[in-house]
Amino acid sequence: MSEEILKALTQLFAIISKQDGGVTNAERDFVIEYFRLELDTKTVEEYIALFDQFAEYGIATKEVSDKEKRKNKRKLTNVRDSVRTLAICKKINKTLNQQQKVIVLIKLLELVASDRSFTSQRMEIINTVSTVFNIPTEEYKLIESFVFEAHSSQIDHEDILIFDNDKPSEGSKLKYIDSGQLDGEIIFIRVKSVGAYFTKYTGKDEIYLNGQLVKHESVIQFAPGSVFKTPKGAPLYYSDLVSTYNTDQEVDNISFNVHDLEFKFPNGTIGFQNINLSESNGNLIGIMGASGAGKTTLLNVLAGLESPSKGNVLINGYNVHSQQDTDKIEGVIGYVSQDDLLIEELTVYQNLFYNAKLCFGDISDEEIDKRVMAVLTSLGLEKRAHLKVGSPLNKKISGGQRKRLNIALELIREPAIMFVDEPTSGLSSRDSENVIDLLKELSLRGKLIFVVIHQPSSDIFKMFDKMLIMDTGGFPIFMGNPIEAVTYFKSASRQVGSDRGQCATCGNVNPEQIFNIIESRVVDEYGEFTNKRKVQPEEWYKMYLDHFSLERLENVKEDPPSTLKIPSRIKQTLIFSVRDFLSKISNLQYLTINLLEAPFLALLISWVIRYRGSSDGEYIFRHNDNIPAYILICVVAALFMGMSVSAEEIIRDRKILKRETFLNLSRFSYLTSKVLILFAFSAIQTVSFVLIGNLVLGIDGLHFMYWLALFTASCHANVIGLNISSAFNSAVTVYILIPLLLIPQLIASGVIFDYDKLNNSISDKGKVPLVADFMASRWTYEGIAVEHFKSNKYEENLFEFEVLEKSNSFKSSYWKPKLDEIINQTSSLLSNKNDSTAPIIQSNILLLKRELRNDFYTKSQKVNIDSLVNEDRFSSEENTQALREYFNQVAQFYTLGFIRASESKDSVLYKMKDDLPEGIDQSQFKDKYYNDCLEEIVRNTTVEDRVVVSDGKVVQLMDPIFNIPSLNRSLLDYRVHFYAPVKPFLGKLFNTYTFNLMFIWAMTFILFMTLYFDVLSRIITWFGSITQNVGKKSK
Amino acid sequence: MKKFYLGISALVYILILSNTALASKMNDNPKVVVLSQPYSVSDDAIMQILQAIPSPLEISMLIKELGTVYNKTDLNNSDFVSKYNTSFKKALNLGVYGTDLGFANIYSKNQDALNYLSSVKKLADGLSIGQFFDYQTIKKLAESANNFDELLMTTTSNFEKINYHLSQQGRDHLSILLLTGGWIEALHITTIVQQRSKHEDLKVKIAEQKIVLDQILKVLQMFKTKPEFPGLISDLNELKKVYNEISIETTYGQPTTQEVNGMLVVMDNNSSTVKVTDAQIDKITSLIRSVRNKIIR
Repeated sequence: MSEEILKALTQLFAIISKQDGGVTNAERDFVIEYFRLELDTKTVEEYIALFDQFAEYGIATKEVSDKEKRKNKRKLTNVRDSVRTLAICKKINKTLNQQQKVIVLIKLLELVASDRSFTSQRMEIINTVSTVFNIPTEEYKLIESFVFEAHSSQIDHEDILIFDNDKPSEGSKLKYIDSGQLDGEIIFIRVKSVGAYFTKYTGKDEIYLNGQLVKHESVIQFAPGSVFKTPKGAPLYYSDLVSTYNTDQEVDNISFNVHDLEFKFPNGTIGFQNINLSESNGNLIGIMGASGAGKTTLLNVLAGLESPSKGNVLINGYNVHSQQDTDKIEGVIGYVSQDDLLIEELTVYQNLFYNAKLCFGDISDEEIDKRVMAVLTSLGLEKRAHLKVGSPLNKKISGGQRKRLNIALELIREPAIMFVDEPTSGLSSRDSENVIDLLKELSLRGKLIFVVIHQPSSDIFKMFDKMLIMDTGGFPIFMGNPIEAVTYFKSASRQVGSDRGQCATCGNVNPEQIFNIIESRVVDEYGEFTNKRKVQPEEWYKMYLDHFSLERLENVKEDPPSTLKIPSRIKQTLIFSVRDFLSKISNLQYLTINLLEAPFLALLISWVIRYRGSSDGEYIFRHNDNIPAYILICVVAALFMGMSVSAEEIIRDRKILKRETFLNLSRFSYLTSKVLILFAFSAIQTVSFVLIGNLVLGIDGLHFMYWLALFTASCHANVIGLNISSAFNSAVTVYILIPLLLIPQLIASGVIFDYDKLNNSISDKGKVPLVADFMASRWTYEGIAVEHFKSNKYEENLFEFEVLEKSNSFKSSYWKPKLDEIINQTSSLLSNKNDSTAPIIQSNILLLKRELRNDFYTKSQKVNIDSLVNEDRFSSEENTQALREYFNQVAQFYTLGFIRASESKDSVLYKMKDDLPEGIDQSQFKDKYYNDCLEEIVRNTTVEDRVVVSDGKVVQLMDPIFNIPSLNRSLLDYRVHFYAPVKPFLGKLFNTYTFNLMFIWAMTFILFMTLYFDVLSRIITWFGSITQNVGKKSK
Repeated sequence: MKKFYLGISALVYILILSNTALASKMNDNPKVVVLSQPYSVSDDAIMQILQAIPSPLEISMLIKELGTVYNKTDLNNSDFVSKYNTSFKKALNLGVYGTDLGFANIYSKNQDALNYLSSVKKLADGLSIGQFFDYQTIKKLAESANNFDELLMTTTSNFEKINYHLSQQGRDHLSILLLTGGWIEALHITTIVQQRSKHEDLKVKIAEQKIVLDQILKVLQMFKTKPEFPGLISDLNELKKVYNEISIETTYGQPTTQEVNGMLVVMDNNSSTVKVTDAQIDKITSLIRSVRNKIIR
């Protein structure tokens, strides 16, 4: 207390006591006593002098004779004193909090009561004081009668409680706790407005409050954690008092029963064992223990986050860990983890608001806003409401405020049972106290709260109703009142003064003392501590079993109360999306990089590869040899951006997801919201990429085609990113994984390495290898390349004729000569038939048959293939000749087709020339839309062997873009050569671009399903457990 | 490498020249059943005419022997290949590039030869006769051949196949275009060099082309219904008008036989006199340039 305030108080004392007859000795003694409590001996003298001066002590006695004079003065003095009183009170108002003001008021009343002269003057002044202090009148009256009345029977009020052996009379509002044999009574008053309790003792027994002798008739504050000890009866704990006061409140009825709970880690070590609890609502229960004693694990199991290996946890009879009871438990449990579970990019208000929206689907936004503001106000965070939470490194709000906000997130939906893990770690003692105060208040409002606490201060320690102390190995070794714990362990270790739990003079408890005793070590002969403990955990546990017996509460028969009303899936998706969106746009750096990355890359790439093929210095799109590479780079960039933007998404949210498991929110909604936001990002990124890249390179009229394909690839990468983000536990791992996922996409894209020249075990001549079918890069690249070649403005009209021209030309110029070769080979082999040539002959005949069976002309002529091609056919040159002639006939058919197509194509070219607007010649038109290098790639003109025999068939390696796959295949067989213009599927031919994009979307959908069912994570866990088992066996 | 390009240029020349062989080949193949030919032209007639056309290679060699400097701008730009879209243009310019390739090769301009080779390949691919320009085969030939003659021998047969192929497909009009293109380019180069060097031999060479032009026009006439042919025919007819003013008189002598190194060789004793003025040569020069520019643009 500051000097100023003490002086002000002294003045108040003086003013009151000098009224109506001046200061009596009793009053002066009271003041001196008060000073002695507050000050050291030297200063006490000083203040007594000050008091005497203000109270005109001594002067007054001299003037006793001069009564007349004083009476004249009296009115004047009154007015002056009133003004002074007002001034002093205002000064006090500025410094003291409400509780301290109540204490001052009680002191003043005690002063008056000390000589029991309740004159109107004095009472008037005190009344003024209470008004200025803003103490409610009714409460003031109650305090007044509590101080003045000698016996509880004079006061009949619900805020009064007596601790006595005599019950109050029937019909009295007084509350009562049985004290056992006691002289007089201990009266308690609850000052509701400040939530404080005061007490006084009217009897003559030796009563101890926190180990200190209580003075008869003096009013003392009954602070949290205090304990009264009477000579005969049981001690009275603060928590008992509070719960007695609160019995008439309407609270949820909850039973929390834990039976023989045990938890084993996957590697077999024991987390904790033999935990038995039985608690009801309205309790604040602490869990303490040495580090590694399994406190947090216990909390997680109690909260249902992890399943026990033995035993069960029942809330009102419903098993927390059973699947079938989840809907009953839903929303009953709140969990505040040790880590901050905040969305750092959002403001304090937004964090709470969206959390509340997810909890209350049936409440309007205005109502939620009201609730949020109410919670924020009650936590003293209302002024911080619109500050960003910020990361622990980049602090916007203090650690204490973060912690309170964490609790607020659970608080807002008011779960009946809350689990709080180390809420005070890393906080200042002031903040710690605030946080525990908050929890205490909640428990007083009827919640059941479990708190893992580490190194609590004395005040905090005393606030708990019960304390569970655990020792290494997960043994419970104490369960009960926290202060008792000190005495219990002291007496167990036969220490001096074991009956005193707290310091006799200051009332402090030292919780560390407990652990010093529990873990005290044996000293060796040199006086050094050894590693051996004096008392092993098992021994403590044995002692625990001897000393503590659990009173089992009946399981409450009703359903546990839940305020939760989660919104529909669509609504959840919407809320998740909005929340995610807000958090993203508030991170300016993230947003800028994400949005500028794509256009910047596009500009860089396209500018660098804007190559001038011609020597006259003008850029001609047609001669840019980099277009196929550009397409690949576009695809890789889309995949890369898509993957990196999503790779951290779920990891970052994991903590928040953990908290939200208690809400039983829809994972589908959550993932959908992620996907929606990421797809939106991908859309924007790919739009800017395509626009800039294509503009710089002069790719005209194909923007949408490019965009849709890249968007598809990017979305696919988004979902891959989400998968790994959901399966792995650190961002670093995920980023290390990205190359592992991207480089195969590059290798198997078909651009960098030729599909026909891959390792023979995966390569399949004339078909895209199966491994490449899992690569979105290959589908996207092929889709764009084929579509670009097919539908650019120059080629779009020509394409069908070129297909006819080239496919006919292939048949007559390559296919038929190849078969001629085979016929020649066969007939020459047959002439000297032996064991080694026989299989070759057979396979050649099969090949010829197969080719003819797939041949369009042969099919249309309904030729009997078996009679045309058989072994007998090669027996003589004459017989063979007939076959040769048939093939000549086939070739002529195709030649004719080729010439017709070629002429039609020329006529289209002439028509195109005529249709072109004035001033643009055909070459210019082609320069603008056609690309030679792309043509070279999709026509595979550089291939050495244009046609090969592989796997019993003739495979066309040239002109893949003009090679229409045959439909003579099974319905689901989509596998054809790279750059096919159309794809067969389900007996139909689909445009390659359409088919490829649909294929990617199908893969994306499957990946979304694996994400939804968390397949990858399960595989990793399963794999982890296998390696662990193997490791164990090898040990 | 030089051999390699030489091989290619030889291929192109032979492609042009070996039309001659085609006629006899066709007659040797009675088994071929021609299903239908959209433009029926008497093969024999074409072949007889084409037989008389001299090789552009001959002119190139002559030019080099005169000691003229190689000038790249006299030739077609190899980048122009991208301008040719129709079969007509492709075939004509395949001829043009063939001449250019040979010219560059004779002067050992490897880089240029490579560029022309790539253009030739592109056009051949475009005409679907790319299979006869198989790099791999030609490369092997070039590596294995010890001298130019041997390479010529080996590749000749390949090019007979091309002609056979085109003819069998009923695409004779492409053969004549190929030939015309090669001839026009050769004549163009000759006129330019002549303008520079004013060499008498070249003048005669230019004038002598009168016969060739007549024959080419005869063949082209057969395809006049095909698109783009009329333009070319009328351009060449303009040229023909100039040539008509030139007279070539041939004196026929009796062929004699003579023994050379123990072999009996027949000596041709015919000789011809050409009457041509500088003005006529100038006119031919400018006309052939405009015809050629139309083709390559």
